[in-house]
Amino acid sequence: MTKEFHKNLDFLKQELVEMSKLAFIMLGDSITALSTSNTELAESVDLKKEKLREYDVEIETKSLQLITLYQPMAIDLRTIAAILKIITYLYRVGRYGKDIAAVVSLLNNKQPLSEIIGIKHMWEHVQSMLDDAVDSFVTDDISKLKGFSERDTEIDQLRWSIFRESVSYMMEDPRNITISAHLIMIARYLERCGDHACKIAEKVYYMVTGKHIEIT
Amino acid sequence: MVFKIKKNNNNEIDHQNQEFSNNEYVIECKNLNLWYEDTQALININIEFRKNKVSSIIGPSGCGKSTLLRCLNRMNDVIEGCKIEGEVLFNGKNLYASNADIRLNRKKIGMIFQKPNPFPMSIYDNITYGPKIHRVLDKDILDKISEKNLKRAVIWDEVKDRLDESAMGLSGGQQQRLCIARALAVEPEILLMDEPTASLDPIATQKIEELILDLKKEWTVIIVTHNMQQAARISDYTCFMYLGELIEFGETTQIFENPQKKLTENYITGRFG
Repeated sequence: MTKEFHKNLDFLKQELVEMSKLAFIMLGDSITALSTSNTELAESVDLKKEKLREYDVEIETKSLQLITLYQPMAIDLRTIAAILKIITYLYRVGRYGKDIAAVVSLLNNKQPLSEIIGIKHMWEHVQSMLDDAVDSFVTDDISKLKGFSERDTEIDQLRWSIFRESVSYMMEDPRNITISAHLIMIARYLERCGDHACKIAEKVYYMVTGKHIEIT
Repeated sequence: MVFKIKKNNNNEIDHQNQEFSNNEYVIECKNLNLWYEDTQALININIEFRKNKVSSIIGPSGCGKSTLLRCLNRMNDVIEGCKIEGEVLFNGKNLYASNADIRLNRKKIGMIFQKPNPFPMSIYDNITYGPKIHRVLDKDILDKISEKNLKRAVIWDEVKDRLDESAMGLSGGQQQRLCIARALAVEPEILLMDEPTASLDPIATQKIEELILDLKKEWTVIIVTHNMQQAARISDYTCFMYLGELIEFGETTQIFENPQKKLTENYITGRFG
């Protein structure tokens, strides 16, 4: 019975990794689509949202089944508790990808201002935090979580930098208002994704050590 | 965090910010060792059980949990070849001192066993047997003792109309609650329970568990169980034993959510045992 439980728990962890890959692809592709005005790529992001939802429901259902059938304790219980929370954060990350992709078609091949004002640069920071958070989940290595607070602060600063820059473009030319307003929103989405990376990191820390921390 | 444990090497490990005065601990073992012939079953046990709390002892078969429980009211004394060293302090007095009153101590420290063991007599006589031994002979008082303790054990409503019937006719769960009522009838301070629900069905188990939670308002309960979920549900403190040693003792939530010892974690996550 116990072997069966641990086998199922390993599957569940693997499934969470698959979900994270999908969510990160959705977000990454949406940024690429935005910066290259690639509407086809943007549409492909939208098509992935159903699979993301399926992962969310499936992992939650399997987690609850494991709790019901095996009443896990200690590290096993903490792992399932972490998984149940992390899937929510991953789901939100993927959905932000979908929201960003939706903007691409709205911009209708207008000049990709995002290239100029550093959305991609911000995305690289967020991507690196998300990758480290999920890596630490897979390897139980919390050393990768060091410095998350500072990295999150940097993302916050990039968001305000994009905000200021976008406002400048709006003042410069009213035709930039629509795209700049969207980019301000996108910067906000990416900043939220950075927060989700921090929340994933908190849950991984709890899973490994049994102690709650707050990354602010 | 409100408990204190001492480890084998006598280095004190504090899992708390504050310590309580000795009277918080109703019973404690100090450097307790026990041998069955040449086999050492308990190895330098140091543990303190808090008053009005439920403490569970868990561990794989043969780890010494029942042996430890039986030490707490000197039930191992009758086992041939059993040798005990160290102290068990009940309200500060050593149960194993040469001048200890075993009879009085066993009255104060009741025991419930895995299999319900009602006496082959009426329900009423089961309850009043102990008080009669302790020279309570007045019928009115015995009636009151019977009613009071059957109510304490939450079985009164089920048996009040058939007190004269044989206790052997009760269901397993009812018999176990009757045994608890019988133990309570001599007004103990501590109730020791050795896998009290192991032979009961889930409904009867649930009733006993609810009863245990209720009992701790007035009594200290120490329970041996191989059911970890049960330990998690009903106990305030949990002690994990392995091969005769006390490995970890702490608040139940801490033991089951975040044990400090790898051995404890491996056991409660089913990686061995």
